[in-house]
This record gives sequence, structure tokens and C-alpha cells, in this order.
Amino acid sequence: MVTIPRTGRTNTRNSARSGGAIFGRRATRRRPAIESVGWKTAAYVCMLAFTVLTIAPLVWLAYSSFKPHPVIVRNIFSLPESLYWENYTVAWTRGTMGIYFVNSIIYTSTATVLTTLLALSAGYGLAKFRFRVSALVYGAFIMGLLVTPHSVLVPLFILETRVGIDNTRAGVILPYIAFGLPFLVYLATSFIRGIPDAFEQSALCDGAGYLRIFRSVIVPLSTPVATTMLIFAFISNWNEFVFVFTLTSSPALRSLPVGINAFAGGMTRDFGLQFAALIIGTVPMIVFYIFFHEQIARGFAAGALKG
Amino acid sequence: MTSIQYRRASYVTLVAPAFFVYAAVIIFPIAYTAYLSFVRWQGFGAPQWVALANYTRMLTDPVFLHGLRNNLLVVGISVLGQIPLGFVLAYVIYRRMVRAEKFFEVMIFLPITISPVVVAILWNQIFSPAGAFTAIVRALTGNPTYIMRLFEDRTLAIAPILFVILWMYTGLYMVIYLANLQRIDPEIIESATIDGASEPQIFTRIILPAMVNIIFTTTVFAVSGSLKSFDLIWAFTQGGPAHYTEVIAIYMYRHTFRFYNYGLGASTSMAIIVLSVVLICGLRAIARYLERRYE
Repeated sequence: MVTIPRTGRTNTRNSARSGGAIFGRRATRRRPAIESVGWKTAAYVCMLAFTVLTIAPLVWLAYSSFKPHPVIVRNIFSLPESLYWENYTVAWTRGTMGIYFVNSIIYTSTATVLTTLLALSAGYGLAKFRFRVSALVYGAFIMGLLVTPHSVLVPLFILETRVGIDNTRAGVILPYIAFGLPFLVYLATSFIRGIPDAFEQSALCDGAGYLRIFRSVIVPLSTPVATTMLIFAFISNWNEFVFVFTLTSSPALRSLPVGINAFAGGMTRDFGLQFAALIIGTVPMIVFYIFFHEQIARGFAAGALKG
Repeated sequence: MTSIQYRRASYVTLVAPAFFVYAAVIIFPIAYTAYLSFVRWQGFGAPQWVALANYTRMLTDPVFLHGLRNNLLVVGISVLGQIPLGFVLAYVIYRRMVRAEKFFEVMIFLPITISPVVVAILWNQIFSPAGAFTAIVRALTGNPTYIMRLFEDRTLAIAPILFVILWMYTGLYMVIYLANLQRIDPEIIESATIDGASEPQIFTRIILPAMVNIIFTTTVFAVSGSLKSFDLIWAFTQGGPAHYTEVIAIYMYRHTFRFYNYGLGASTSMAIIVLSVVLICGLRAIARYLERRYE
């Protein structure tokens, strides 16, 4: 329980340097290579095996989604003879994927932007105002990394019913934000700690208030970490399942993962339709991954870099 | 307004919004869950204080115990599978043992962006009796009557799920370790090579010591992440057949949202928290012990 705060705090002094290493350009110096032929062969076998195992199921899923159900059942690995688009049109209309898509976009964009803003502003307060209560607040946020969504579901459900936001979009977005905060506050605080105090001081001398400094000094300087935070929050919000699944009962409020689970995991036994639904849910993330692979990898790595 | 008051007001304006949301959605509900775990309550009427009855019922329920066992297997595959494998893959890329390393890195990391629900349904298809796995085994062994039946076996039903968890998250650890390996100064390794150090020596004397901390941190993440696993297994099997692939989080969900047994659900939630704290403290003790031995 005490481990994570420790890892976050011991490296306070280093965060400027290591922050540069994480968020700046990658080191261009050549890494030392192993030249032994035996090791290289073993390495190739290992990498190829893993890559094939990773990609083959997805490729199979992609081309099978263009085959009608009877063909999939009869000949499971054959390539489609013609592109059977009907899987997609039927899955889209009968599975009401359009609604889920819109919902997913609303939930994800709202929660992602709000979480990042809240985390940045809290990060500024926790990193630069040396109040004693900060240690306690920061510790409370970090503990949140260990909390499972399930352990708060029942009280949260009761609370939302009392307040009257159960079964609404706000009722979903709120827990998205709360569960995104611990990790993003951690990222923001350790990055902002590395920003030299001189920036803040000179702005203060120019007569700027703290909120003004946050807006026009801290936020612009934090762009690298903010990108990582946005991407990280985007992925976890887009794929989130439990909150929508338990806190909403109306199908009109479902997000893509919950909708796909209801449709492909139960409503239809037609493999073609199931596969098309899965592809509909996967393609946006694959496109996102192609464009932002580098930042995604850096974001996930940054989370654990402080070890 | 004096400057200290102004500083304080600004501080509150900056930190309070985030902390308020966090407290309302996480801190307060957790305290409430702790209370609920000691009462019997169906969602209406007055909760009835039952002390430890929920806990004893949970701990004597064979379904819970089987779920606990499955959970520990998920922890095991994460700590003993994903982490070493991810490390090997990262090391292969780091020491430039393969060409097109970027390609491999991108491909192996890909599953992490896909929704666990999609991954689960895809693999459920592959492992279904008429699915791709059956077809592949038939083709490889030449036995046309083979049918994938692992899910009918209480002991082994969890195996396909463990495999998928390994498949999905190994790339994540690879990326984390790779980023950390790249922070090791290459000159240290170069000068060690010039001084005649062998590959295994470089690995155990330079690489491993530099990576001990990050391995520990990722292990903590792996443990707490494994105990939380719900969506993947839920979309895969819903814990079935006959609770064979159940994990604690599914047990908790079923009792809370299907049977409205809020007390039992809450005590199961507490069990998840307690278990992750205990496992992480255990890990810390091991890490300390190793540190002392090798220093």
C-alpha cells in the first residue's frame, strides 16, 4: 500500500531530467548489439512466433467478417470469395451500433478532456504550492491506483440514485473522471515538479495571478505530458466497460464495448454479424494506434518509468 | 487579501475540483462499502448488522474459493508469464538482435489498444468447440474427431483465458521494459565489453541491477490489475460454465446486481482490496530480502 507513493516521491529531484528522457526525443545513440548467430536465430524465432500469434487472429477476424455465416461454419479459414458487406449493414442497423458510437464519443471526449484539465490543475497545486496538506491529498490520489471499480459500484449506484443522475450520461462520465484521476494526477504532478520555479517567479513579478500562471505558463509548458495524459485517458475511457454496464439500464445510453458485448456476445448466433460488430469496435482504435503509436507506447511506459 | 490568503485560495481553486470528484466517487463509497460488508441488506428497508456473517459465508462458499484460485492463477500468469516474456522481448529489441525491430514492437504492442470485450469475444470464437482452435488441432494431428473440450473441465477451464491474458498484456510489459532499457547508458556496456565481460555477465551485473526497481513496480501493477480483471472474463464466459472460470470480481457482481445481496457483494469487494494489499506487502518483503542479499 505504501509502495506507490514512495516511488512517486523519491525521484522528485530527478523528475526534470527523467521527464526530459520520457517525453523528449528518444536517445539517438546506438544501443549495443549482440552479434552471435545462435542468439540472433533464437531471437527471430521468438519475435516471429509472438508477432504471428498476435496478428493472425486479427487478420482472420478481419477477412472472416466479409463471409456469410454458413461459409464461416463450413470452411473456417477460407478467404472470402466476394466481399459480403451485408454483415456490416445488418450489424450496424440491428445492433444499433450508430447509437453506441455516438455515446462512446460523448463519454470518451468529455471525460478525457475534463480528467486531463482537472489533473493538470491539481498537479500544479500539488507540485508547486508547498502546503503540508499536499502530501496527504497526493497520497489519497495514489492509493486510488489500487482501487477496483467494483469496490465502489454499490455505494456509487445508491449515491447516483439519491442525487438523481442514475441512468444518465453525467452518471457515467463522473466515475470515468474519478477513476482516471489517480494516474493522471501522478503523471501531471511529477512532470510539473520538474518545471523550474523561475518561470512561475517571473510571471508573479509581472503581476500575474496563480490561475493566470496556470493558464498561460504551466499548461503550455506541460504540452508533452498533457498529450500523454489525453491519449492514455482516451484509450481507457473508450474501452471502459464496467460503469456503463452497471450504472445504466437504458440501451440508448450504452457505449460501444457494452453494446458489442450485448450484440455479439448474446443477441446473435450469426458468426458473420458477430465478426462485423467486433471489427466495427476495433477499427477506430487501430486507426488511432497507427497515428499515435509512439505517444501511446511512451504514455504506458511513463507510468512505470519512475520505478 | 494578504498574499498568503491569496496563495491558499488559489491552491484550493486548483486542487479542490479534482479532489472533490475523487472523494465523492471513490473515497466516500469505499468507506460505505466497508460498512455494508458487515450488514445484511437487500437494497430496501433497514440494513441489519450481522458482524462477520458475510465474510464467513463467503469464505465457506466453494464458488468463491474456486474463484479465488482462478484469480491467483491470473496473478501467477501475469507475474510469472507476462513479465519474464515481456522482458525477453524487450531485451531482444534493445540489443538489436533482430532487424525491423520497430515492426515487431508495433505489432506485439497492438492488442493493448483493443477493447478487452472484443478480444474476449474473438478468442471465445476461436476456442469454441466448432472454432478455429479445433480446426487447427485437427489439421495438425490428423485426428478429425478432435473437439476443444477444455471448458468442460473444472480444473482446466481457466487455461484458455490465462492464455488470452498472456497474449493481450505481454506487449505492454515489453514497451515498459524497453523504455527503461533505453535509459541505460550504452557506454557502460561498451566499456564492459572492452574489459572482456561476457554476455551473461553484462546481463546479470549491469542490466538486471538497473532494472530491479522497474520490475518490482510492474509486478505491483500486474498484481493489482489481475485482481481487478472482470470485463475480459465476463465477455468471455461470464464465469461459466457452472462457475468454472469465475473470478472474485464476477462473484461480487453476481451477488450484488443479480441477487441484490449487497452485504455479501461488499465483503467480496473488501476481500479484493485486502488481497491486493497483502500480496503487494508480500512482494515488498521479497524485494527487500533480495536487495539485502545482493548488496
